Amino acid sequence: MKTIDEEIWAYIDGSCDALERTRIAEKIATDESYALAFQELSKLNELMASEELEEPSMSFSRNVMDAVAQEIAPKKLNTKVNNGIIYGIAAFFLLSLSAIFIYVVANSSPTVSTAEFKLPSPAFNFDLSEVLSPLSMKIFLMVDLTLALLYMDRLLRRKMHANKTTLS
Amino acid sequence: MQQQLSDIELITAILEGNTAAYAELVKRHQRYVFTLAMRYAKNREDAEEIAQDTFVKAYRALGTFKQSSKFSTWLFTITYTTAMTFLRKKRLLTDSINDEESGIQLENHISSYQANGIEQRSGYVFLNQAIDQLLPDDAAIITLFYKGEQSLEEIGQALKMEPNTIKVKLHRARTRLKEKLQFLLKDEVKELL
Repeated sequence: MKTIDEEIWAYIDGSCDALERTRIAEKIATDESYALAFQELSKLNELMASEELEEPSMSFSRNVMDAVAQEIAPKKLNTKVNNGIIYGIAAFFLLSLSAIFIYVVANSSPTVSTAEFKLPSPAFNFDLSEVLSPLSMKIFLMVDLTLALLYMDRLLRRKMHANKTTLS
Repeated sequence: MQQQLSDIELITAILEGNTAAYAELVKRHQRYVFTLAMRYAKNREDAEEIAQDTFVKAYRALGTFKQSSKFSTWLFTITYTTAMTFLRKKRLLTDSINDEESGIQLENHISSYQANGIEQRSGYVFLNQAIDQLLPDDAAIITLFYKGEQSLEEIGQALKMEPNTIKVKLHRARTRLKEKLQFLLKDEVKELL
């Protein structure tokens, strides 16, 4: 249930519907507690609406423009990001996925009967063990280790920088 | 008389290379941004730093402004995140200050207002004092709603909150503001409110 203040604020803000508005207006006209609350809140509302904004120092805009002069001039985002590249990447993945899908469907032999349903088994014509040789595994692990070390280095540097900032 | 360019026209001009037009955008919005920064920083020096940082960040990211919202809403979003980052850094530096000391600081802040004589005993001075005592988010919502000409949805967008949450917070802020004004003004409250 709404309090008197809530109803009066909704009336002042104009955030209530026409029916509600008429009902509150009647209450203000007939009920003393509503009339008093309306008088108080209207004055508070006027005071807040007519309050002057704070003024920064005289040199504020000059300081901002001086700081801005050191920055690179802003440009529209579409000049920075080439949509062609984004569409190209999307097209590459879509084509790759479509090609794999077509290959799998074309080389599979689906068996469907009323008794059992078997998923089509894709027939890949290459030996996976050739790709996953000990050398390729070693390269893969080496790259992983390097990336992990780089990530750790970055994380520690960031922590160190945060600590420095706090201390200074 | 030359018609004033809209925010969007100014942004287009800046993005086309007329970077000097940014001065007009700064001039137009500096008071809003500075007032909002004051709601979080509570002192002019910090607020100026936040406001200046906001305008520099906005300049850097001007190319990403999608124009699906008002420029002021976008700018207030940057002000909010800049103020949060600033306060987080500051909190790390002032962790040793306990609540008791903060209380003393607040009292001194109020008494400095009171010491400034009769001229400042106007409603606005007390209103500013009362706003200063609100939670930063509540004070910012009041400023955005009344001075930033932002709807509840736009305030929600700037402060990363749901419009309903903003509505509840606005109501709470106004109730607290009324209570604080009643406390600050005591007998004079009836004349003012």
